[in-house]
Amino acid sequence: MGTKIVNYQEEKKVYYKVLVGLLLLTAVTFIQPHMFMTHSTFLAQMVIAVIKAWLIVIYYMHLKGEKLITAMVWFAMALVAVFFIIVIGIDVSNFQYGADSYITSAPTAN
Amino acid sequence: MSHEYIPEIATERNGTEHEVQGWQDDFYGGKLGFWLFMLTEVMMFGAMFLALAYYNTLHQQDFLDASASLNRLLGGTNTVILLVSALTMGLGLLKMRAGDVKGAKLMIWATIILAAIFLVIKGFEWSAEYHHGIFLMHDQLLADSPLPFGQKLFFGMYFTMTGLHGFHIIIGIGLMLWLLKRINAGKVSQDHHILYWNIALYWDIVHLIWVFVFPYYYMIGAGGATGGH
Amino acid sequence: MSKSYFDETHCAIGHPKSTFMQWMLTIDHKRIGIMYAAVMFTFFFVAVFTALAMRIELFAPGGQYMDGDTFNQAFTLHGVIMIFLFIIPGIPAVFGNIVMPLMIGAKDVSFPRLNWFTFWLYIAGCCIALASLFIGEGVADTGWTFYAPYSLNTGTNVIMALVAAFVLGMASILTGLNFLVTIHRLRAPGMTFFKMPLFVWGIYATAWIQLLATPVVGITLILAIMEKYFGIGIFDPAKGGDPVLFQHLFWIYSHPAVYLMILPAFGIMSEIIPTFSRKEIFGYRTIALSSASIAGIGYLVWGHHLYTSGMSDIAKTVFSFLTFFVAIPTGVKFYDWVATMYKGKIVLSTPMIWALGTIITFAIGGITGITITMIGLDIHLQDTYYTVAHFHYAILGGVVFLMFAGMHYWFPLVTGKMYNETKAKIAFYLQFVGFNLLWFPMFIAGYYGMPRRYFDYLPEFEIYHQISFFGALIFIAGLIYMFWVFFKGWTKGEAATPNPWNATTLEWHLPTSPPPLENHSKVPYVDFDPYEYHQGEPVVKFNYETMQRID
Repeated sequence: MGTKIVNYQEEKKVYYKVLVGLLLLTAVTFIQPHMFMTHSTFLAQMVIAVIKAWLIVIYYMHLKGEKLITAMVWFAMALVAVFFIIVIGIDVSNFQYGADSYITSAPTAN
Repeated sequence: MSHEYIPEIATERNGTEHEVQGWQDDFYGGKLGFWLFMLTEVMMFGAMFLALAYYNTLHQQDFLDASASLNRLLGGTNTVILLVSALTMGLGLLKMRAGDVKGAKLMIWATIILAAIFLVIKGFEWSAEYHHGIFLMHDQLLADSPLPFGQKLFFGMYFTMTGLHGFHIIIGIGLMLWLLKRINAGKVSQDHHILYWNIALYWDIVHLIWVFVFPYYYMIGAGGATGGH
Repeated sequence: MSKSYFDETHCAIGHPKSTFMQWMLTIDHKRIGIMYAAVMFTFFFVAVFTALAMRIELFAPGGQYMDGDTFNQAFTLHGVIMIFLFIIPGIPAVFGNIVMPLMIGAKDVSFPRLNWFTFWLYIAGCCIALASLFIGEGVADTGWTFYAPYSLNTGTNVIMALVAAFVLGMASILTGLNFLVTIHRLRAPGMTFFKMPLFVWGIYATAWIQLLATPVVGITLILAIMEKYFGIGIFDPAKGGDPVLFQHLFWIYSHPAVYLMILPAFGIMSEIIPTFSRKEIFGYRTIALSSASIAGIGYLVWGHHLYTSGMSDIAKTVFSFLTFFVAIPTGVKFYDWVATMYKGKIVLSTPMIWALGTIITFAIGGITGITITMIGLDIHLQDTYYTVAHFHYAILGGVVFLMFAGMHYWFPLVTGKMYNETKAKIAFYLQFVGFNLLWFPMFIAGYYGMPRRYFDYLPEFEIYHQISFFGALIFIAGLIYMFWVFFKGWTKGEAATPNPWNATTLEWHLPTSPPPLENHSKVPYVDFDPYEYHQGEPVVKFNYETMQRID
């Protein structure tokens, strides 16, 4: 099974360390809009989220050392990334009908 | 039937023997299967974020305005609650693997309580929004209200996605109660903890989804109405 | 005589005495596969006769037997059943279940109880889809694509159809998940990925599509339901939504879904061609890797369904460029199959002539697909009979034909009986001729501008519709005859030996025919390639009791 031998104290320490890291990062999300990268809050927030996600996946979900599963996770992430690149980056950010379309310039919209 | 399973032996032509992996008692297989299931969750929420980003691109200013009006204090509290619940879940699993069944059960109860608190806070948040006229099929989100399209879409997606996330939390509570029942029945133990392992993974993915839901809804407009643009 | 899987089974709950309950609760992969086949082909015939009804209506211009609304419901019913109930579970649910574990030397799939649950989830989805026929204003009239905003405004049962599609999607995801874990965990010792039969490669690539693409359409359907009941306006332009987003999300799944259909079919082709050429397959690795790369590239090309929908011009260009790439691995496969036959000892048994027929029909289906990859041409041909004919040449003439090929190939394995080869060949020729008569005129009609999904048309298209109608009659006659031959074979056919085709892969090395409950008597050690022939004879021979090699 490979998981039978547990170094309880050792692993518990890891859990608490990661918890502290995550709490710190959460605090950073709150001060970020007033502290740094104030001109690209969106980007800064997403970067912090990715770091948090990475901590959770590696330590809480025990992905460290799992080669096959890591490759599968990367594959799924790459697909999502491709969908974003194509739909957001290539298609909708080049939306050609901004001035004419009802959905972007309806009477009630700004 | 899985407990008395004895692996078969396949023999090579030169006599070398190889143990055959059966479908019974396959810890790694169970883990792999659950990871694959979690990838479907990633794709599902990935597609929802795609829809969200689509309208964000079309209505940037509306999204910032709408985001600024959400309650960051309650959202932040919920973030911390989920964070701690992920810890209790992980510690419980650790205790189970170390053989401390009683401690594990205690940790599961702690996780359930934290999850319930999360839902209660979510409920307060939604009802406050309802009183401000922002809720599905209600007041400002109706088709004929003057709220800009971008904001309507933002709030519509907000209720859909946090609702779906809340639904995952409820399922998670159900799973943990079931897990307690299985532990009491002796079906989950130090040596057979795949169910516990996978439910802990499930709880982590629920947390992980929130890690992205939280900043995308609550924080992007936190830098004032301009959001830095 | 030893017991086969028809005589005994493992059950999900308890040990029921009655045969009926044993079938309902069975977790045996072979029985589950047979039950899938039974349900799927029942629905298949419902959809075939819906299509025939449309052909009758289209025999002459003007409305005769159906009004426009009924016609809309008819083609939606045909599409929904054929796509969601028949071809998406399709080959993986039937042959993936029955044959794949046998091919890799496993006793069952990794999660047999999940497999049982998945089957009943599929049945639940079918029931919801059926219920939508009889409740309220009847079955949806949107076409199987459920395009917004019409699907959100029509009074017909679109939501029920969406829920059905969602449940069926869940079943598809769980099937894929089960197969992925099975292929990763339960291969017999010694069987590396590049020693797997090519059908298993097809199933593996398919399972990745089932697993990762289906959730996207699932969430799209949920968003549509949210929109319908909570008025969010995600896809309805009147409320600020963009229908193009619906089309993006829908085709992100539904385009890979056509590769989900064709990849296991290609796998069947890759089994049949070397077996009946009595020759090792040409370019094993290229076929295996082309399956994987079709699955990969297939994710990137969905936008070619949206050329006329209002995507940005740059996105259209990118999608057109990417779409051409799918043709490359498909072409690689075709060359490999033809090269396998070169200098082989070709045996023209029924499975082989089905495979050869498919090489022709799928080549037509594939190459006409390349023409509509080009944006300029597609503007002209979008939503015409040309596209309809292309799709049916690829899916009916590719996937379903190869499924029939697989049915003829594995029939003796599953039933332990043999059908009448001469009669089966007659059924093939009837269907092959009928099929081409049915669909080829549509290419011409579509090129001249006959739009799809119309119940009426201009008089100049009459001749094409009439040829199609007679083709349809011949095709359906052949279809019914083929199932009659199967039925006769199963009830009255002579007993088959465990390896009637002189095939090499593991599913033909079972102790008895039909196979016993837990498959091989012992798990073999695999130190050979899947298709090893020497001068027209299989190289690898087993003692079926000990599963030791005796060659």
